[in-house]
Amino acid sequence: MPSQNKISLQRIAEIIGENGFIFIFILWIVILSLTTQTFLSSNNIFTVLRQAAIVSIVAIGEMLIMLLGGMDVSLAAAMGFSGIVATSLMVNFNIPPELAGLVCISIGGLIGLINGILVTIVRINAVIATLGMMNVLNGMALAYTQGKTIVGPQLDQIAFLARGYVGPIPFPVILMFVFYIVFYVILNKTVFGAHIYAIGNNDKASWLAGIKVDRMKILAFTVAGFLAGFSGLLQASRQGSATSSMGNEFLFPILTAVILGGISLSGGRGKIQNTLIASVFLMTITNGMVLLGISLYVQGIISGLILIIALSLDRLRYRRR
Amino acid sequence: MAATDHILSLSDIHRSFPGVKALDGVSFQIPRASVHALVGANGAGKSTLIKILSGALVPDSGQIVFENQVYAPSHPSAAIKLGVSTIYQELNLLPTRSVIANINVGKEPNRFGFLDEKVARQKAEKILGQLGASAIPLDALVGELKVSEKQIVEIAKALIGQCKLLIMDEPTAALNDVEINALFKIIKELKEQGVTILYVSHRLKEIFRLADNVTVLRDGKHVRTTPVAQVTTDALINDMIGRKIMGAFPPKNAALGGEVLRLEHLTSSNTFRDVSFSVRGGQVAAITGLAGSGKVELGKALIGDWPVDSGQIILHGEKFKPDPSRAKSARFGYMPEDRKKEGVLEELSVRRNISLPSLAEISNILGFILFNKETGLAQRQVDGLDIKTPSLLQLVRNLSGGNQQKVSLAKWLATGSEILLLVEPTQGIDVGVKFEIYKLIHKLSSEGATIILVSSEISEILGLSHQIIVLHNGQVQAILGGDQTNEEEILQFTFGQEKEKST
Repeated sequence: MPSQNKISLQRIAEIIGENGFIFIFILWIVILSLTTQTFLSSNNIFTVLRQAAIVSIVAIGEMLIMLLGGMDVSLAAAMGFSGIVATSLMVNFNIPPELAGLVCISIGGLIGLINGILVTIVRINAVIATLGMMNVLNGMALAYTQGKTIVGPQLDQIAFLARGYVGPIPFPVILMFVFYIVFYVILNKTVFGAHIYAIGNNDKASWLAGIKVDRMKILAFTVAGFLAGFSGLLQASRQGSATSSMGNEFLFPILTAVILGGISLSGGRGKIQNTLIASVFLMTITNGMVLLGISLYVQGIISGLILIIALSLDRLRYRRR
Repeated sequence: MAATDHILSLSDIHRSFPGVKALDGVSFQIPRASVHALVGANGAGKSTLIKILSGALVPDSGQIVFENQVYAPSHPSAAIKLGVSTIYQELNLLPTRSVIANINVGKEPNRFGFLDEKVARQKAEKILGQLGASAIPLDALVGELKVSEKQIVEIAKALIGQCKLLIMDEPTAALNDVEINALFKIIKELKEQGVTILYVSHRLKEIFRLADNVTVLRDGKHVRTTPVAQVTTDALINDMIGRKIMGAFPPKNAALGGEVLRLEHLTSSNTFRDVSFSVRGGQVAAITGLAGSGKVELGKALIGDWPVDSGQIILHGEKFKPDPSRAKSARFGYMPEDRKKEGVLEELSVRRNISLPSLAEISNILGFILFNKETGLAQRQVDGLDIKTPSLLQLVRNLSGGNQQKVSLAKWLATGSEILLLVEPTQGIDVGVKFEIYKLIHKLSSEGATIILVSSEISEILGLSHQIIVLHNGQVQAILGGDQTNEEEILQFTFGQEKEKST
């Protein structure tokens, strides 16, 4: 019967949409394991995870916002800006790293708070509001640094954050897992998480059920801002310097990781663990292409195609609505 | 004899929706170049009939003959091509485009695909002239026109498409008396020009002024079609109500408490004005009125989902600023009319839907949800309301309409609401669940809960309420005791009859 056919096709599309990228991920790992000798070495695995750490931590914030049906394109810029401020405080003003780090994270949170207010109280579309914010932040970063690199011996004090090891394990990898475990628990076990999923599902019905929708949205943007601020610190630690463009390279990977991880663009559905897997997958793509000796000039094409495929799967899954 | 030249004839039209026979063997004819009125209570089948004629719905069976041809449009645009245009209450215009563009939309005069603006302007000018509405500026944006002018633009748009039958659904709902007179002049003019009008209205007075014939529908059945000259208002109302057998409603709760909720001169600029009444504990208060009377908006305003311009709401003796979150704290629950969009979260489980307003109470100090408590809370409601679901974790999307409605209510019972605002709680659900909801309302009020029931169904209002507030054009037309009135009296007030005349 045609109707049954249709149902089973939908089912297949659903399974692929839900887990498709994991299948592709496994396939990619198998190919790399067979064609290269270095991929599965513990050294390379930790390299990949360390590269994934920063992206995956900011991606948690992006995920919260996208679960609510919004999107924040300013997180990478917020990372860069707060990283520059922290670095400058240490290098130019000899502020102790603890205080500089605190300021860095607070600036991120403040940027998120402003974004949240723009989206809820002023009621600007989330993409547009954060696009504006992105430009402001990039402009301020450029104006402050005058295009110069900020670097100094004081930065060695924060080197451990992104470059340290605990035994054989890179410290940022530990941070990454801690953040994911904490936010997994928050999203799945607490009232906060329940409200995030409810609002993403249907914000009008959630509001009528007595949930303070605007307050929750502002909170999500603010948390995302805090995470971006912290990641800015990590990135400064990793580079051992700060430049006006230090956040820019993250814009694309953050969004790709969250969307590839199956967070629906319309909100309400998706699992945090898939965002983590997708972040690692993304880094594996770059890592694998390098190991395979694929030209740098072609790499952009491939990562672009991955985003398109991820978006297509997302649409396939929700076409039924 | 050529005396009866019918432009449209319907024979034995049937159309069902799940659980409802919307049209059940309707047959009647409309003479050419006449104004034909269509009346009936809510749910009589008028909308379904309009949708079938305008091509938005296909009948299950039966035949329609239009201009001596079998008429079965597959789509609204096919109906318009055949000469049947429909003007809905919510006008279908492009507010940011000019009057000319709107009148010519879909039939833009062009040369090789390039717009011929000169011809478009001439056409619009000519047609507005015919309608005696040359005063409407051709280049104005339609969004800036008055409602009555928009309506004329809508009529002009229909005429440019060679419309032979014009269906008008409640065209006077948003017009004042002067505008209504102007509209009637236009309708009479159209009739002179040979256009047939199917005029759907709740306002019986207008029908007597305007129509040649009238068709009454009731519960999807054709009651009668007759020349207006041979019928009276009372006879029409009787036809619309019929002699319905009242369902067996249990006796109403007699132990009423003190005042719980009071409205003082509540006003929202265009929808309702100066609404005042008071509701006691254990009481069922119904708010009723026709579509467009403001009853649903008044309900929404009580919870903060509709703006209030002046007046106040007093809840438990204190001024209440409406807002869903504050209402929840005051144990005031709301079951909205549109349960799919507003009442339930379709992609979440039955358990989470029921627990949603109670989450703070069933979590520990750190905000961790205690899942045992959540399951217990949801299970009690599923058992108590007999919600049919294979498990608590089933997504609400997969439940039937009636069970979704119960979930929409269950969340407020779970959180211990003492006041419940129910908007059209039995709309679109089957009779079995309907009576379960009636029993539940009765039980809740007997336990001391206050129920505000916004409903169009007069039988349920009569069967359940202690107090009936009838709105007409946004104003309180009458406040009636539930046991001292009858269906006919309520209906008369909903149609705007003055209090003095009724007794």
